[in-house]
Amino acid sequence: MAMTKTQRRRIATVVRYGVLSLWALVAFFPIYWMVSTSFKPDNQWFSWPPVYFPSPPTLANYRNVWLGTEQYDVTQYAISSQKPLISMWNSTVIATTSTFLSVLFGSILAYGVSRYRILSEARMFQLLMLRMIPPIVVVAPLSLYYSALGLLDSRTGLILIYFLTTLPYAVWMTKSFIDEVPREIEQAAEILGASRWRTVFEIVLPLIRSGLVATFLFILILTWSEYLLALIITKTQVTTLPIELSKYQGTTEGRVYGRQAALAVGITVPLMIVGLIIRKHLARGFSFGMVRR
Amino acid sequence: MAVAALSSAEIPAAASRRAASRARAVRRFKLTLLLPLIALFVFLLVPVLTLQLYFSFHQWTVYLGSWWDADYVGLDLFQSVLTDPRFGWAVLRSLAFATGSTVGCFVVGFALAYLMAKPFRGHAVYYTLFILPMLTVPVVVSYTAEMMLYRNGPVNGIISALTGLDFQVSWLADPNIALTTVALLEIWNWTPFSFIIMLAGLAAVPKEPIEAAEILGASKWRIFWEVQVPLLRPVILLALVLRFLEAMAEFPKTWALFQGGPGSATETLPVYIFMTTWQYFEISKGAAMSYIVMLLMIAIVLVAIHLLRREKRSLDLMYAPHAADG
Repeated sequence: MAMTKTQRRRIATVVRYGVLSLWALVAFFPIYWMVSTSFKPDNQWFSWPPVYFPSPPTLANYRNVWLGTEQYDVTQYAISSQKPLISMWNSTVIATTSTFLSVLFGSILAYGVSRYRILSEARMFQLLMLRMIPPIVVVAPLSLYYSALGLLDSRTGLILIYFLTTLPYAVWMTKSFIDEVPREIEQAAEILGASRWRTVFEIVLPLIRSGLVATFLFILILTWSEYLLALIITKTQVTTLPIELSKYQGTTEGRVYGRQAALAVGITVPLMIVGLIIRKHLARGFSFGMVRR
Repeated sequence: MAVAALSSAEIPAAASRRAASRARAVRRFKLTLLLPLIALFVFLLVPVLTLQLYFSFHQWTVYLGSWWDADYVGLDLFQSVLTDPRFGWAVLRSLAFATGSTVGCFVVGFALAYLMAKPFRGHAVYYTLFILPMLTVPVVVSYTAEMMLYRNGPVNGIISALTGLDFQVSWLADPNIALTTVALLEIWNWTPFSFIIMLAGLAAVPKEPIEAAEILGASKWRIFWEVQVPLLRPVILLALVLRFLEAMAEFPKTWALFQGGPGSATETLPVYIFMTTWQYFEISKGAAMSYIVMLLMIAIVLVAIHLLRREKRSLDLMYAPHAADG
């Protein structure tokens, strides 16, 4: 017997919600597990059967990791207090500074490309190579070069290399916003006697304010979570959060899941806030002008 | 423009002088705009690549005195890399890992985007949940994986409960599974990327051809394959290419979780270069390896760029009349 149209539509709806909910579970479960582990006392970190809800939930992991206050007598996880906070500060300074530079110079370059074609389309694509070639192939000479310059284990060193590697994204993304600004406005400014630099800084860039914010936050996601370059270039003086997490192990026992989870939550939450703020702009950041509206 | 044309008709000599000085000013302005990029290249990129080239032709490890006195060895290092079976395996592993995770991300991401192309109740909630994995730091992904994937852990537990089987996979210890584990994590981590691009692509596909096909009585299946997929080709290409390149470079998850092990099961190209350089301290061999990988990647990227540019140009042509309308 043939199904009626409404029946078929109802089945389609059920299938849709079923598939989407299944993936929502897959997508969300690891995040849930990380958060719940961060609230578990140490006998529930690694147990059989697994403990799905921390009982009773405890803040000990957070107090230990972020404040360095609570120590366990039994296991003696000797982890130097306050280090994650210092790393959080390093990460914040390095990520925001390099991202700021990247967006500032990226948008100036993008303006030049959009209005004066200072880079041909071929060059624009070649610029992407900076991003597409794996960083692993240059880290060794980079670290030697940095040690010669005294930039090893310094914030400046990381900021410079992040600036370079995120510049292609900044140029491409801000260009897509600048392309939408009508040229008539700039021509009017020119006739009124504004210099070229004033036109850029006082007319064009303010007009794409929200685009600049979106670009900034988008690149912040990349610089905040970078691992390989930070692993090689920083040693002891300047540690960023992802490196701090990978170093975070107990002295007597490898697995300190609850602590690691408390640290991981601290790394992830700022990123998620940023990502959710710009969720509408994510497609633009990734699509290099290939998606039109 | 109109002003310049008027004055040039009245006083030609002065105008041409003015035009020349204007052109000079524009040229200077363009150069200034480019300066930061040029400076970055000259002071950062060029020295680094030069050093890399130097080490690929000079035998040096950290135990051997100053690097600038290292012996010139010609192409020996390249030869030793190309005859190294471990390197060959690393290439194969990387290609397999990148292909598998790219296809996985794309299939899941496209399917989700297709199901979410039209608005429905709860759309925003699903969208938010789906992009969250991309917003977790890769290192965090691997440590969280370690917390969940132990033999008696929650993942095996949930799968057992759902299927009724006694599901006991050693995700982290079995050398036959380890690379798959990383690929699954990569898919989990980056499906949002394919999803976002494909969703934006689906939203941008013109509605008229689909409506026309519906009126002509085409099935959903035929509309999908014969109308939507061809229209989406640039976006599909972009989603595949970018993901593949990023997967070739994947390092943080593989390293933080496995350090190349168990055995050499997860020794992908980035991991092997890293071990050669920073654990065996064979800087020169690492450099030669890096150069070979860089050339390989540049070749892939050039093909990718060629394809992307072709698609972009056809898009530009398609959308040019609309742009003129305002």
